[in-house]
Amino acid sequence: MTSLIRAEGISRILDVEPPVTLVQNISFDIKAGQFVAVIGPSGCGKSSLLYLLGLLDRPTTGRLYFDGVDTTDFDSNARSQVRLERIGFVFQFHFLLPEFTALENVMLPMRRLARLSARDTRTQAEALLASMDIADEAMKTPDKMSGGQRQRVAIARALANDPALILGDEPTGNLDSVNSGRVVEILHDLASNQRRTVVCVTHDPEIAEAADSRIHMLDGHIEKID
Amino acid sequence: MLGRLALHLSIVAKHLSQRKRQTAVAVAGVGVGVGFFLAVSALMVGSQNDFVETLIDAAPHIIIYDEIRSPSPQPAVLAFPDATVETRHYKPRNEVRGLKDWQEIMRAIERDPNATASPSLSGAVTLRVGGREEALGIIGVEPGIEAKVSNVEENLKYGRLRDLERVKGGVMIGEELANRLGVGMGDIVAATSRVGTRTLKIVGIFEQGRGQFGSNSGYVLLREAQSLTGQPFVINRIGVRIADPYAAEAEAKHLESRYGYKAESWQERSADFLALLLTRNVIMYSVVSAILLVASFGIYTVVSTSVADKQRDIAIMRSIGFSASDLERIFVIEGFVLACIGVVFGWALGFALMQILDTFKFNVQGRLESLPLDRSTFQYILSAGASLISAVIAAWIPARKAARVDPVDILRGAV
Repeated sequence: MTSLIRAEGISRILDVEPPVTLVQNISFDIKAGQFVAVIGPSGCGKSSLLYLLGLLDRPTTGRLYFDGVDTTDFDSNARSQVRLERIGFVFQFHFLLPEFTALENVMLPMRRLARLSARDTRTQAEALLASMDIADEAMKTPDKMSGGQRQRVAIARALANDPALILGDEPTGNLDSVNSGRVVEILHDLASNQRRTVVCVTHDPEIAEAADSRIHMLDGHIEKID
Repeated sequence: MLGRLALHLSIVAKHLSQRKRQTAVAVAGVGVGVGFFLAVSALMVGSQNDFVETLIDAAPHIIIYDEIRSPSPQPAVLAFPDATVETRHYKPRNEVRGLKDWQEIMRAIERDPNATASPSLSGAVTLRVGGREEALGIIGVEPGIEAKVSNVEENLKYGRLRDLERVKGGVMIGEELANRLGVGMGDIVAATSRVGTRTLKIVGIFEQGRGQFGSNSGYVLLREAQSLTGQPFVINRIGVRIADPYAAEAEAKHLESRYGYKAESWQERSADFLALLLTRNVIMYSVVSAILLVASFGIYTVVSTSVADKQRDIAIMRSIGFSASDLERIFVIEGFVLACIGVVFGWALGFALMQILDTFKFNVQGRLESLPLDRSTFQYILSAGASLISAVIAAWIPARKAARVDPVDILRGAV
């Protein structure tokens, strides 16, 4: 199996006085189709690592390969393009655009990529919402939906451009147990049945349990991987 | 690319519809700016055009005088250009005034189908009626030709220019002078020049307040002027009218260099007025630009607040895969859209203001005149262009900030 993400000694040091080390000399391989949980106490650098993997941030040192390509020196536009085509984010808070309906939110990345016609974009977005069992909420704005529904819209949006990598930042952090169970189920299904790579930063033991592999972090470095 | 623009526009539409009041204020700002720009410039440019037209048509576009701007140098000076020459005891030659070879000049001008030339002779006489005396500058013209180069005819209150040919010794004078002398149409006046006295008959009166047709000049037949002043066959002016009055300056220069005589274009004649108009334009355009600039402050405020309020949305869009330049463009478009709506309202307002201005009628010497308004499309385009450009700049300043938002900072703060 080829590795989708390969980190070679990446560090992220904030350039402030005194310098703050968020992530320190981390190396790992994540294979395509793997479901990985990143766990550790608050402030251990989990989220910072996730932003690095999602090309939202760039490592201070080390090299990061995405699907075999060294992305370390990609410029801002190239990173945006990779995020658009290959990566989907799910955050702790749903992070939907409040003025847009659920359907419009899902269509946003598709319209930006413009790979499909307007009609296909809509059909595809509706299908994604249906697959999350929230087809009925398509025309609602986020404030008219429950927390669980919003998070499922967010997942549908993350899947909009059929990405290879789904990154979750505490995706169940703000949900009750029923809804969070549902989200874990969906994430697991994305990895095992749709062959997508899922990396989740989490405190949720349920996700840790469901994951194929767990990266334990402490003070910016990897304590162990199991 | 078009799809991308549509996407950006749909995001902008959401942003603007969400903050209706601010949007309305910014749009109103641009609208009022553009509206008043149009009204003010219509009035200013309109009155300027009206004024310049009067300047142009008041007299022939070019007048060739029997003068030279500077006397030709002494032969000795020409012979030793690098030396200092002193000439003494030279005696000025007594030359007969008048344009020499004027028929030749006339023929040369008339060869150009777009030009008409009219010869005239000006001189001075004294009019006497009863005990009253008034100095009069007489201009002797060929009525048929003169009518083609100046608007003498239009300024006549009584009589027609052709009457000069029909009545022997006919003269046309201004209303003020006629009043001062106490004479009217058909009255006989005595005219004294340096060669003698004869009688003239009033065959035309110019309307009051018409510049050079006013108080102290009068028109007679060219032959009459020549005999009155004792200068048979002499003329001392050629008036030229050309198809494009704005070419007068170049044409005058050409005529002057060719014949040596002073050729004065209407621009040279009215240089001080034209300079005044330039100042007026500078003032007007600085004021209306200031209005538009202030309007763009409104746009800056809206876009700037929008960027500040939408930090989280910006981070979300960046995480989805929107690039920094997408974000910059979205907020620039936001300002542009505001300006576009404002321009449309402004055009409507400007049009309405012009309609209102048009209803004002002024009584100018017994005639009802409305304000001269310049309603050219150019002003509409200019006002739109200026506000759109200033709006884009006003929006671009905060939009750059949107582009520089680091999504990680926002995401980290939110979690």
